Amino acid sequence: MSTPYIVDGYEVVVGLEVHCQLATDSKIFCGCRARLEGGKSVADVESNSATCPVCTAQPGALPVLNKKVVEYAIKAGLATGCKINLKNIFARKNYFYPDSPKGYQISQFELPICENGFLNIETANGQKKINIQRIHMEEDAGKNLHRDGYSLVNLNRAGVPLVEIVSGPEMKSPEEAGAYLRALYAIVTYIGICDGNMQEGNFRCDANVSVMPKGSTKLGTRAEIKNVNSFRFVEKAIEFEAARQVELLQSGGKVVQETRLYDSTKNITVSMRSKEEAQDYRYFPDPDLVPVLLEQAFVDKIRESLPELPEQKRIRLASEFGINPQDAGLLTSSKSLADFFEKTLGLAVKGGAEKKSAAKSAANLINGEITRLLNEESIEIGRSKLTPAHMADLVQLVQASVVSSTGAKQVIAAVWKTGESVDAIVEREGLKQVSDVSSLEPAVDKVIAANPGPVAEFRAGKDKLIGFFVGQVMKETGGKANPGTIQELIKKKLLP
Amino acid sequence: MAIHTQYKSVTEIHDAYDRKILSPIEFVRDYLNAMKSSGLNAYLTISEERALAQAKQADMMLAQHGKVPRDKKPLFGIPMAVKDNLVMDGVRTTAASKMLENYIPPYTATVVERLENAGAISLGKTNLDEFAMGGSNENSAFGAVKNPDALDRVAGGSSGGSAAAVRAQLCQFALGSDTGGSIRLPASYCGIVGLKPSYGRVSRYGLIAFGSSLDQVGPMTQSVEDAARVLDVMSGFDERDATSSPTPKGDYFNSLQKDLEWSSLKIGVPKEYFAEGLVPDVEKSVRESLKWFESKGAKLVPISLPHSPYSIAVYYIVAVSEASTNLERFDGVRFGVRPQGASEARDLEEFYKKVRANFGPEVKRRIILGTFALSAGYSDAYYKRACQVRNLIKMDFDEAFKKVDVIMGPVAPSTAYKIGEKSSNPLEMYLNDLYTIPANLAGLPGISVPCGKDSKGLSIGLQMMSPIFTEAKLLRIAHGFEKERASS
Amino acid sequence: MSDVPQLKASKVNEALTRQVANLARLELTDQEVTTFTSQLSDILAYVDQLQKLDVSKVEPLTHPFGTSIEALAPLREDIVKPFMTNAEGKPKVLDSAPEAYEDGFKVPPII
Repeated sequence: MSTPYIVDGYEVVVGLEVHCQLATDSKIFCGCRARLEGGKSVADVESNSATCPVCTAQPGALPVLNKKVVEYAIKAGLATGCKINLKNIFARKNYFYPDSPKGYQISQFELPICENGFLNIETANGQKKINIQRIHMEEDAGKNLHRDGYSLVNLNRAGVPLVEIVSGPEMKSPEEAGAYLRALYAIVTYIGICDGNMQEGNFRCDANVSVMPKGSTKLGTRAEIKNVNSFRFVEKAIEFEAARQVELLQSGGKVVQETRLYDSTKNITVSMRSKEEAQDYRYFPDPDLVPVLLEQAFVDKIRESLPELPEQKRIRLASEFGINPQDAGLLTSSKSLADFFEKTLGLAVKGGAEKKSAAKSAANLINGEITRLLNEESIEIGRSKLTPAHMADLVQLVQASVVSSTGAKQVIAAVWKTGESVDAIVEREGLKQVSDVSSLEPAVDKVIAANPGPVAEFRAGKDKLIGFFVGQVMKETGGKANPGTIQELIKKKLLP
Repeated sequence: MAIHTQYKSVTEIHDAYDRKILSPIEFVRDYLNAMKSSGLNAYLTISEERALAQAKQADMMLAQHGKVPRDKKPLFGIPMAVKDNLVMDGVRTTAASKMLENYIPPYTATVVERLENAGAISLGKTNLDEFAMGGSNENSAFGAVKNPDALDRVAGGSSGGSAAAVRAQLCQFALGSDTGGSIRLPASYCGIVGLKPSYGRVSRYGLIAFGSSLDQVGPMTQSVEDAARVLDVMSGFDERDATSSPTPKGDYFNSLQKDLEWSSLKIGVPKEYFAEGLVPDVEKSVRESLKWFESKGAKLVPISLPHSPYSIAVYYIVAVSEASTNLERFDGVRFGVRPQGASEARDLEEFYKKVRANFGPEVKRRIILGTFALSAGYSDAYYKRACQVRNLIKMDFDEAFKKVDVIMGPVAPSTAYKIGEKSSNPLEMYLNDLYTIPANLAGLPGISVPCGKDSKGLSIGLQMMSPIFTEAKLLRIAHGFEKERASS
Repeated sequence: MSDVPQLKASKVNEALTRQVANLARLELTDQEVTTFTSQLSDILAYVDQLQKLDVSKVEPLTHPFGTSIEALAPLREDIVKPFMTNAEGKPKVLDSAPEAYEDGFKVPPII
């Protein structure tokens, strides 16, 4: 039974357009540098230095298509089940703007390279299929720097290759939109076509949002919220926009088809254009570029080179390592994280750990403490000091009850900072858990003696109090006691 | 007698260099003097420093080698003029427009690079119709070009400056560009040879774009032999132009030496090219030339290119549509002239409009026409339909070439008219292109060779067209005609 | 076969000319609007003869050469070219800028 997202009797309809910067070395139509390491934007090097006659649209300059861009676009299409159009065509999209030096953007219109794919997303109500209408190649624009009384144009980014991925208007809530974006993001980073650095603009989302009365089949007028580069902000922007549109309709107004921007500090969307949208792009095939003609063999070779995709990996990890679907989903949300997990397990099992319980520990730690640290610093796991070798060691210690789960978190925090070996840290910070009965008995006895009331209640059947006793003993031992051992001792001493 | 008028071909010049009766530096100096005093307005920029530096280098090389290094530098020491819509690094390039009056490009067009590498010496940039839009060279922002044979008449366009420079021997050869006849027509009006190569035969990298699927750069010369030499150097695939063809190029100059089998030559004569509008003197001269071919044993085959009457309509949709977008980059942001007050504009829209006021009226007219033809609601009826009829026109040629080897006819309906005579009615101007446009639409090579003069002594050109990428054969036929038949 | 709408020359009025000129960021004087409208009208009336033809089975031709893979230029390899600098080591493209400032192309305020 699905629980739809309804705002005052209105359904929300969301379509998403994602602009994904491709991780090629050179630009789409010229040999200028297209990106820096780690997905950092080429816009950041000295202004206008990564340019040439082509990407600055000097008179007489001509575009020449980068083969790798085509390969990456095909990869994107194959990874999302699209049909690859063996003949596809570039078109001119005409509009005047300083960051678009030719006065037109070279994009694809009638015959894009990929069509009719899909993605499966996990929602609270189960799996849902979202259609991808098309994926096409196009060029990025430069950057405008706004100052008081004038603007400065930097064309370093002009010509950076993009694929635009267009979904159907099929998401019905902010959560579904977020799920779609996360799934798509995972795919493009998995197949290696996108660096995935959202702060640097590698993956940008435009959300088309409209509302219609519940049960209606006629779509409402949509507003486009442009260039949101965080999943959370997309969700919040949709939430705000849906509410704004509903309120507008309820007060007798009309939704205007327009471009809006999301302001994350105020959590509102604001209109970008003062008049109603009437952009006539005058699309027509670009005469400077010939049709892209692909041979099936070329496409097939690319298909063979695709790595295991997120969904496949999620299913495999869940079954192979016995971890639950949620955990598997989180682990596979990024390829680097999933690889880290599998390498860790490989080393741990080699070191003698039991596969499934090691997997559970590793999953918990990765999805918990490690993900928290990664998000805090906005980095990929590969850039941290924590290695699979560290994790394998740690997981083995946890499995052997040498370190508690709390202790493990401390170890991780320390390795994160220093990169030292796990053993060294455990020693230095005294994190070895005490599991030996004789060592713990005095503390247990002390706690029992100090708490006659709870003891009596526990004996009378209030089982939950075991947690209280464990807590007290932990306090007594400075957190070093093995909770399992404590429990056993308590039960032994207090129960018949 | 001035040195620059003594030599009629590359062969003669190289011979003179070898025999040490001529040196590159004195040759170039002589040209430079003549250029400065010609009064034809053929040149917009004289690249004196560059020319002299290149000439000095040639002198040194000649001293070193003893003889002209023909293999390494097939155009060694040959002075050339470059149409001012081809960019050259460090040399002002204006496209005959106020928009680019001060533009110094940061790079050089491929064809110019190849020619200079082969030894050609750049004398300067020639006048043209603004952005190559026109058929008389009256649309230049820097004044019309005078026809050297009749100073009150047009030189033709858009490569009028190049044609006049070649005719008046102010260069040994010139580069022109042809989108709807802009090499062939001025060649016809000025009595010289002008070749538009097959589409994709010569790189467009560095050619300021007008109609991207129609433009080609080509040689304008005193003889077919020189045109073949220049084409040898200019042509061939360029990785910087995605529309240039990897089809192997011919060996043009050398293939001129092969004898022509006149008796096996089938010449198509399209009935549509001898219909209403063709001036009697021109028709007479062209028909006499065709009879001459017959007298050599060639067979004249009447053919029909039924869709040719639609060529102008197709062209004035397709070319202007492409042009309207090619000219969008002229927005005053990265290059070009900002008129007074533009930088102080309150917003972008006002800024763009002030800058784009630099365009002349013909350019504006074509931009508006093209923008209209591509706009929502009209694009299918105009742009798309024109592209479909373009296909029909091309198919007419495909059919015809099953029966004939080459197609011949007039280049223009008349000879050079008086300056100012036609410039008030744009449509009337456009109708002048009816014989030349089809070759651009179909991508075929076309050449104009002088074939006679009218009663006023004005030049008439004979046009020859052959299938795509068959320049070697086309040049052989043109060469045979030029060599063996004296023009009247 | 659907009927292709025929644009009557009379429909090319001054309002349309102004609208199209605006799209192309061209400023026309009132005189130019009048002159261009009448010239455009004539040209379009001439071009309208294309509407007579049956093109229902004809592919639009956008490039005048064949469409086999061998006839077309190969794609470019993904190789980075060095930065384009002038004699002072600054980006060469800025040399021809009408107004360069702090290595950017200066324009009136965009927002």
